Amino acid sequence: MATPELIPPSKIEETQQALAQINADYAERYGFHDPENYLYKAPKGLNEEIVRKISEFKDEPQWMREFRLKALEHFLARPMPNWGSPLLAEVDFDDIHYFVRASERAGRSWDEVPEDVKKTFDRLGIPEAERKFLAGVGAQYESEVVYHQVREDLEKQGVLFLDMDSGLREHEDLVREYFATVIPPNDNKLAALNSAVWSGGSFVYVPPGVHVEMPLQAYFRINTENMGQFERTLIIADEDSYVHYVEGCTAPTYSSNSLHSAVVELIAKPGARIRYTTVQNWSQNVYNLVTKRAIARERATVEWVDCNLGSKLTMKYPSVYLLGEEAHGEVLSIAFAGAGQHQDAGAKIFHVAPRTTSNIFAKSISKDGGRSSYRGMLEVAKGAVEARSKVVCDALLLDERSRTDTYPTIRISEDDVNVGHEATVSKVGEDQLYYLQAHGIPEDEAAKMIVNGFIEPITKELPMEYAVEMNRLIELQMEGSVG
Amino acid sequence: MRNETKETITVCPLSELPPGAMRLVQWEDLEIGVFNCSGTIYAIEDRCSHDDGPLVEGTLDQRNCTIECPRHGSIFDLRTGIPKTLPAYEPVDTFPVIVEDDAIKLEVE
Repeated sequence: MATPELIPPSKIEETQQALAQINADYAERYGFHDPENYLYKAPKGLNEEIVRKISEFKDEPQWMREFRLKALEHFLARPMPNWGSPLLAEVDFDDIHYFVRASERAGRSWDEVPEDVKKTFDRLGIPEAERKFLAGVGAQYESEVVYHQVREDLEKQGVLFLDMDSGLREHEDLVREYFATVIPPNDNKLAALNSAVWSGGSFVYVPPGVHVEMPLQAYFRINTENMGQFERTLIIADEDSYVHYVEGCTAPTYSSNSLHSAVVELIAKPGARIRYTTVQNWSQNVYNLVTKRAIARERATVEWVDCNLGSKLTMKYPSVYLLGEEAHGEVLSIAFAGAGQHQDAGAKIFHVAPRTTSNIFAKSISKDGGRSSYRGMLEVAKGAVEARSKVVCDALLLDERSRTDTYPTIRISEDDVNVGHEATVSKVGEDQLYYLQAHGIPEDEAAKMIVNGFIEPITKELPMEYAVEMNRLIELQMEGSVG
Repeated sequence: MRNETKETITVCPLSELPPGAMRLVQWEDLEIGVFNCSGTIYAIEDRCSHDDGPLVEGTLDQRNCTIECPRHGSIFDLRTGIPKTLPAYEPVDTFPVIVEDDAIKLEVE
């Protein structure tokens, strides 16, 4: 395994200045909070009564109520994972509000959204982004989705894009067929928690052959203190269809902690392609503990583009199970870990069928004592002949107080495969600067090129117009790196 | 090493495994789960293909003829041994069941 290189001292200050700007204006742009005019706010803590109440509020079918209660048993029976981050032990499940209802139902026009909530999303630029370049928008505030809309032409083609609660109400058979088949409730403690108290999230179905050319976007906002947000998303791309789903998230900055624990299940049927882009920018008092997993059938492609900027602790490892021949999986991951943050991110790919292919590109930047970890799993099952995979992890350490770790696991049970793993940690070094300068490039410009090159594989994959957060932050970094 | 030839082993009288019941049978180095699913008997290897979870300690769904692994929740079809949900993706072995003279017997090899 490669050892992290440190940036030469001459460049540390300059680069730190550039990166110091990342989220420097968080409090002003996202850290605000609204007055609480809620219809219902559960008391802190989790018990059977809360779970039953959530289910009653939503008037759910009995099978879902039983599913929730069984999941609660799993959650209570399981110990907290003893791997990952020491910060995990600090999560206090008794100090969380598990359900907060801000609005009567999900409006289909912004006028139906409560005024305070609408102002928040205006301030975050969501309605403007919707008008300009999105095929559909879902906006979740606390526990539930307050606004949901999809373009009429897509609806006419049979595309379903609903909040998960409406999905269950209006398409129960479809939901029941696929819900929790990718991530069962007792997959892990946090998946069990989500399964017990899930609320909101998106339900997407794309019919065979339909290509949703513009992205569908969901925006998740926490407003209250000590909030738990547990959205549940299920995306089914039927044969030869295509969909790109983008999600963003922010929260006010409080001195006490909140918890975000989502479950996201993707199903790409033969020939389908799903791209799922996340720009995670929670405030630094949020524990972000998320389970994301996808199934790719024959010739299907699943791509996770996963950007983690915010949160106190993120533990998230988007996975793809390549179950059909010639399926392809891809994870592009970037993480920024600043003071007090631990980004424990990564990817998992399982090659189950012949001639499946995958790529994992993970990048991390740690600064001001922040910690980033890459945790990966690459598995090639017996029979997955001619599987090909490439894993590249790059970490950039900006000072001696910061830390980066790489925990790659590779399990190969088949001989006829081609697997490459490069744990090439930081590539910013004096030799690179010297090389570029020797070709007539000024030092400042050389530093910019190196930083740009470091993050470029990810930034080039983001939608150019994406209104919320990541591009702006990356641009700040690039501007700063000019010096 | 297991035997190469087929062998028939007796599990128990049929009356001792009513619908909804399941039990563990050990034979040489194998552990086999035997299930009565709405009156039909099935036998599968008692080891989840994901993480070796003991399937007979899981939840039997007689309506769908499945068993749910207690460890991480994969659901297996008792008729085929094929997992219907992740995280398991490989089938577990199944064993032919014979019910004769009020006794449940398995064919193993």
